[in-house]
Amino acid sequence: MKLSLTRACCRSYTFPIFRKPSSVLPRAIFHQSLSSSSSSSLKPKTPLFLRPPKHSATFSDLKKWHDWANTLAYEVGSSFADSDNGPDSSILCRELKWLLEDSLEDNSLIPHLGIENNPNSVKLRIALDELYGLWKERIEKRKPFQYLVGCEHWRDLVLCVEEGVFIPRPETELIVDLVNEVVRDNEQLRNGIWVDLGTGSGAIAVGIGRILGSKGKVIAVDLNPLAATVAAFNAHRYGLQDVIEIQQGSWFETLKGFEGKLSGVLSNPPYIPSDDICGLQSEVGKHEPILALDGGLDGMDDLLHLCNGAASMLKPGGFFTFETNGEKQCKFLVDYLENDCSGSFCNVSIVSDFAGIQRFVTGFRRAL
Amino acid sequence: MALVAQFLLNFAKFGRSVSHHNNRSSLFFSCNYSNNNSCSWSKKNFVELTDEELIRQCEMGTFKASGPGGQHRNKRESAVRLKHIPTGIIAQAVEDRSQHKNRASALARLRTLLALKVRNNVNLDTYSPPPELLQILPPKSTIRSSDVGPQIGPNNPKFILGMQALLDLIFAVEGSVSEAAKLLGLSTGALSRLILSDDSLRMVVNELRTSKGIKPLK
Repeated sequence: MKLSLTRACCRSYTFPIFRKPSSVLPRAIFHQSLSSSSSSSLKPKTPLFLRPPKHSATFSDLKKWHDWANTLAYEVGSSFADSDNGPDSSILCRELKWLLEDSLEDNSLIPHLGIENNPNSVKLRIALDELYGLWKERIEKRKPFQYLVGCEHWRDLVLCVEEGVFIPRPETELIVDLVNEVVRDNEQLRNGIWVDLGTGSGAIAVGIGRILGSKGKVIAVDLNPLAATVAAFNAHRYGLQDVIEIQQGSWFETLKGFEGKLSGVLSNPPYIPSDDICGLQSEVGKHEPILALDGGLDGMDDLLHLCNGAASMLKPGGFFTFETNGEKQCKFLVDYLENDCSGSFCNVSIVSDFAGIQRFVTGFRRAL
Repeated sequence: MALVAQFLLNFAKFGRSVSHHNNRSSLFFSCNYSNNNSCSWSKKNFVELTDEELIRQCEMGTFKASGPGGQHRNKRESAVRLKHIPTGIIAQAVEDRSQHKNRASALARLRTLLALKVRNNVNLDTYSPPPELLQILPPKSTIRSSDVGPQIGPNNPKFILGMQALLDLIFAVEGSVSEAAKLLGLSTGALSRLILSDDSLRMVVNELRTSKGIKPLK
């Protein structure tokens, strides 16, 4: 079956063009399975580093802000770390440096902040009073740094994120490497249809969209309309609007007709056990969408659903990778995939993340 | 998946307990590249290995790995530390926001450190400079033929291979720039200028000269 990029109920979104103007109208195509009028007004926020430098401040005023922000960061000490394993002063100071980098039009001017009473002014992508507000939110409300600047650096990508959309984690970067190993010597998989379920900002979809072959496609699905919009924005920013199709829906729900046809099923689904949610560090528990975190009683609700779906959706020889909470979930899933899925899978294995924690379960659909 | 698996295998074996290698010392390896039995980990000069080969010889650690990680955590712990197991040399990168980029920077840094710190024996009686060294020499060198191509400077990634071969020679002549210059068909002044053109190269040569009681190049 050929993947059709235009569907009955598609809608197109127009995004500002950030790099060079393209002759093609920038558009991302949605397959919307939920009828929602509210989502039509959704527009992703422009990350700080892409905003025009239409503000300015004197170096000495900017330095005042920077000194103030540094003091707040130092005052935190290890109190966040002690209370909920949050960031300490040194991490906050590093974030402050990055916030400054994203705010300034010209980063090479940062050393000038060291000069006392410098009357020259500097161009900013954000007004100075907004910078005060942002850093207050960082320290007092524990708002994640990524939501302040509207982006996350992930692999060699800079992905747009905003409040309401899960921030991609460094651990998940490895999924792209795992797929790369699999498609490198397998032309059929390289040019097949891959799905990223619960795509969030679209990180996995964009990551693998760039390593698939010329005929390869990715369908990125998320239940959250804002995440779908942000994923479309990111896909477009990397010129992958013809490779990645964004769908709004729940897991395999929108993929009717693809049974036994998918080359790959990838997901970083919610896997935190419900009881652990209240103990999460504030940046995560108070600000990130619970939909992307809470995996039910033992955190396995969605993982098990994905395993069952992969059995029917993958074509023979198709590959899957799911991220998990750690060793316990990995072992449970391996047992489940090998013993309770009526021999659907082969080469099921566990892959650890860079911290040595068993993080991913991978495997292949058995050839018939 | 082999590469990833190797990373993690190394990680599991060595954990995060790493000792810092002493900056001042140089490591000597008496390996003959073409016929190598004593150095079981490598048949090639480390600096000549591909990224993948080099990474297989490393254990990789992120700086902090406390708690369950994954969705639980938002700490931007993107710093990467690579420890090259055969030599114990450690390269790290923390400046970038993405772990992926820090890994690439750490690897590039490791390559430079290997070139600066790992010495290979040179037989002065039969010495003839390898092509990668000829490439970094100025065109006026009398042993440099025209087919070597244009001179490669410190900003070219190939420079470190030549730099390594140059250091091997300078160590073999115990820091004497004039002796090394003779073997390279250059005046002492011209070789000095080449050494001074790269900060890390200059530092290693001057460290050696100081240890031998020769005054440093300026």
